[in-house]
Amino acid sequence: MILQVLLNGIFLGAIYANIAVGFSLAWGVMDVINVTHGTMIVIGSFITFFLFKYVGIDPFLSIPVSMFVLFLIGYCTQKYLLNLVVKVGIFLSLILTFGLDLVFINVVLMIFTGDYRSVTPSYSGTNFQLGQITIPYIRLATLGICVLLTILLQLFLTKTRTGNAIRATSQNRQAAEIVGVNVAKVYSITLAVSAALAGACGSLISMVQSFTPFEGGFFIMKAFIICVLGGLGNVLGAIIGGLILGIVETMGARVLGTGFQEAISAIIMILVLIFMPKGIVGSKYK
Amino acid sequence: MTIEKWLLFLFDGAPVELKKNQIIIGIIIGLGFMALPLFIEGYWIRVLSSIFMYAIITGALNIIAGFAGYAAFGNIVFFGIGAYTTAMLMLRVGFPWWTGVFVGAILAALFAVLVGLPILRLRGHYFAIATLGINRAVEQIALDWGSFTGGGKGITLPLPKMEIQSFYAMIYFIMFGLLLLTILTNFLIARGRLGYALRAIRDNEDAAEASGIFAPTCKVIAWAISAFITGLTGGVFAYWFSFIEPAMVFDIMIAVKAFVMMMLGGAGTVLGPIIGAFLLELISETVWGQFLTIHMLILGIIVVGVVIFIPRGVLDLFRKKISLSALIRNIKNQSI
Repeated sequence: MILQVLLNGIFLGAIYANIAVGFSLAWGVMDVINVTHGTMIVIGSFITFFLFKYVGIDPFLSIPVSMFVLFLIGYCTQKYLLNLVVKVGIFLSLILTFGLDLVFINVVLMIFTGDYRSVTPSYSGTNFQLGQITIPYIRLATLGICVLLTILLQLFLTKTRTGNAIRATSQNRQAAEIVGVNVAKVYSITLAVSAALAGACGSLISMVQSFTPFEGGFFIMKAFIICVLGGLGNVLGAIIGGLILGIVETMGARVLGTGFQEAISAIIMILVLIFMPKGIVGSKYK
Repeated sequence: MTIEKWLLFLFDGAPVELKKNQIIIGIIIGLGFMALPLFIEGYWIRVLSSIFMYAIITGALNIIAGFAGYAAFGNIVFFGIGAYTTAMLMLRVGFPWWTGVFVGAILAALFAVLVGLPILRLRGHYFAIATLGINRAVEQIALDWGSFTGGGKGITLPLPKMEIQSFYAMIYFIMFGLLLLTILTNFLIARGRLGYALRAIRDNEDAAEASGIFAPTCKVIAWAISAFITGLTGGVFAYWFSFIEPAMVFDIMIAVKAFVMMMLGGAGTVLGPIIGAFLLELISETVWGQFLTIHMLILGIIVVGVVIFIPRGVLDLFRKKISLSALIRNIKNQSI
């Protein structure tokens, strides 16, 4: 039984980690708290929903589509809006993304209305037994894709020229500018990648739970907690934070029931902020 | 320290010369608002009361975010604490509403001191996120502790035993009085030692501490004042609406709106946030009347527009010469 709970925690944690990886990238590299990240995830969910319901594309195959659309949205957001204020200070970028969040939510609301939606392919609900443990296929595939995306992101950041430029900009913007990095472009790509990850995450989440256009705030709160817990500045932080949160929440719900769960995780976040402000493995992107 | 010394610390400072016509204009506007309920009623009384309420919240936010530069996005938690304390004291203990409001404000200020001591050491985004987390935690406690707070269904307060029109007029005057109190507090802080300390902290906290400002105390005092005013407003709001629920009084959008109002008018000035609140709420009210379904969309667009085009506020815009080329130059200067 404890193994089953632990496994459920890991499944949940993988999704949480996936929520936070992109968010932490934008925060760590640009010092921008992108509040729209939650709604970007929701947009990804709705893209999958649209393609599944009206075009009949398998939800897993729609992941690249939502990643591509969100990549464009993220790129344009950074290039035409956030780049205009990111130098001035945290105030402006934070409020700007709050305003943009309202715009995104309401555009999605106008297109898809506020109904609860869910994506249910024929294989949803099927699972297989491994000894005592039940493993749903979708959860397993989700876990696999989360791992794959994280590895790809890590490779992108460490092996490609653009990835190196992103890490260089994160370490020192002015120095990167001096050695010829086009910071404005790097920033745009950073948010684009971050948004693309949100899109993939949204596609995955659409198969696991039902959603409305207003779900973004919930995701963003999780992302805050995970980033604070794991620390900023590397992919590992988001993974560790996400897994810890996923396992703790599943275990906590099992042992203590679901009441006060949100309050407790918020309080844990504040305590971590106070006593361990760098998180578990926080640093600059190196 | 004696009380006298504290008062000196809080409010003493270089005397500000108000010009005669400024005082006269101020008095005329003030008397105008006092006399307004004679001429308008119903809808507009409520609209003006809610504009006053936003102006108070924005003015209170200005103390911590405008002067000290600490992005307290979760400031609305004090509003909720004020509202819920008032509701609980009226319902469970049977206090008269104004006692509840005061106790709520005092609790809000104490809460600000309690959580401010540790989290005001955090800077930048971390502080903003910590305040958001606190707001979330308190909201969730109010939600989950249903047996005491009424939970997600909300809670209904005892209705006032007076005619509805005079009740709304009374709320109008209370909100107006609170607004005057907020302006006065902002004015006294702006010209006092505390204001100088806070602005020094905003510009460079390390340098401020090096030159002898005890930053932690100043920040906690500023946040407590801000919380007290916000708590008062929350209590009056609860009595006014006579129904509250966690999602309503802990709504982060109120704080975001207050931030936009503050920036629209000019952060760190005395009257700027108030003017910003009036501008945005009037726009919002007229827009609301026109497009019920997309008013949040328009609010979002306004937020983005304010941040990009007038981040220093309209007062600043009027002081300089406004021209399209100046605006574009401004944007170019601050973009990367």
